[in-house]
Amino acid sequence: MNRSSIFSTLYSLKAALPGLLAMFFIAIFSNNLVGVPNPFTLQNLFAWLDGVIGPLNHQSFFQIMNANFVWNPLLMGLIIGNLFGVPNAWKRGLSYIHLMMPLGIIMLAPHFMIGHASKLGFMPILICVAAMFITATVTLYTGRLLKLDDRQTSIIAGGLSTGDPHAGVILMPLIKAKGGQVVGASACVILFGIIAMLILPLVGPLVGIPDKYFGLAAVTTVGNGAQSLFAAFGQSYEAGRYATWFDVGRHVIMPAGFIYVFVVMFIRKLKNKGNTNVHATGDIKTFPIWLMVFIFFWALACLHLFRQPAAHAIFNMVQWDFSMAAAALGLSLPLREIAHDGIKCFAVTCIAGCIRMVLLLAAILLCVKTGLLPA
Amino acid sequence: MTTNKQTTDQDGFDFMANAGREEQDRDMIGILLASAITVVITACQYLGLL
Repeated sequence: MNRSSIFSTLYSLKAALPGLLAMFFIAIFSNNLVGVPNPFTLQNLFAWLDGVIGPLNHQSFFQIMNANFVWNPLLMGLIIGNLFGVPNAWKRGLSYIHLMMPLGIIMLAPHFMIGHASKLGFMPILICVAAMFITATVTLYTGRLLKLDDRQTSIIAGGLSTGDPHAGVILMPLIKAKGGQVVGASACVILFGIIAMLILPLVGPLVGIPDKYFGLAAVTTVGNGAQSLFAAFGQSYEAGRYATWFDVGRHVIMPAGFIYVFVVMFIRKLKNKGNTNVHATGDIKTFPIWLMVFIFFWALACLHLFRQPAAHAIFNMVQWDFSMAAAALGLSLPLREIAHDGIKCFAVTCIAGCIRMVLLLAAILLCVKTGLLPA
Repeated sequence: MTTNKQTTDQDGFDFMANAGREEQDRDMIGILLASAITVVITACQYLGLL
C-alpha cells in the first residue's frame, strides 16, 4: 500500500464502495437500525417467529438464542459468504471492519454506567464482580489444562465471565483471535447457557436458596440475559422478577471482564516471549491506545457525563457500526473454521461453567445462611 | 497453510489481515471517529439540541 497519510488505509472510494455497500445492505436487512424504516429484517422475522413459538418461561426463543444486532448480520453474512462466496471487488471495503471494531467499542463505553447498579446493595454487587473475575480465571486455567488455543480460551473467558457472547467480538481485536475462533467460542457459550438455564431450576430446590437470591444466582451462573431470566422464571415468578433486578449488576461491569481477560493474556504473552504455544494478543507490544480511550470514556460514563438521550443516541450508532462489522466478519468465515477444535472448546466452556455454578451457588447459600444476604 | 478464498483476492489482499502500520492507522481513524461522534452527540444534548 502507498501510504501518504493515516487515511490511505481507507483506500479510494471506488475500491471501497462495493464492500461498504455489501456491509450496509446486510446490516439493514438484519436489524431495525435507526433511520432505516425497512420492515423486511431478520430481526422482525425472528420477532414474528417468537410470536408463533410463544414465550418460554416469559422469554422469547430467539433472545435465548442470543439473536441481536451482532449475531443477526453475522448469520446473514455467514450464509451469503458460504453459499455464494465473496466477490473480490468487495474485499477492500470489507477491510473497514478493522476500523469499525475500535470505533464501535469506544462508543459502547457510555452504555455501562456503574451507578445504575448502586441500588442493588454492596453484597450482590460484590458477588457479581467476584463471579466475573473468578469465571474468567477458571476458564483461562481450564483452557490451559485442556491445551485449547489460548485465543479461543480467551474468547470463552470473556463471554462466560461477562455473561454476554458480544464480549467475544469485543475481545477479537485485542486477543487477535481468528474469526472462526470467535464465532465457535461464542456458540459454545450460548450452548452452555441453554444447558445451564435448564439445569439450574432443577438444582435450585435442592440447594435451598430463597427465591430472591435464586434470581442473583441465575444472573451470575447461567449466560446471557434471556437465558438467566428463563432459569429464574423456571424456579418461580418471584425469582424471575428478582433476576430482572439483579441483571443490572452483571451488565454494568461487563467492560471490566474483557479488559481483565486482555490484561491477563497480554502479561502472559510478555512473560512468555518466544513460546510458540502463546498466541493471544499476537504482536501487540503496548497497551492499545483505543482501549485507553475506551477506559477514559467509561470513566466519564461512570461519572454520569453522558446522559439520556445522548447515551441512547450513541448506542444507536454502535448498533449501526457493529451491524456492519459483523456482516464483514460473517462473510469472512468458511463454516469449517468455526467448527475447528469445537469439541475441546465446548468441553472447556462446560467445565468452567459448571465450576462457576457450583462455586457461586455455595457462596450465595453461605451468604444467605450467615445473614450477609438478608432475606 | 491454505488461503481463505472468502477473504483473499487475486492480488493476495486479505481483508481480515490487520497488522503493522495499517493497523495503527485504522485504530487511529476509529479513535478519531468515535471521539468525534461521542463528543458531538453529547455536546448536542448539553446545548439543548437533543
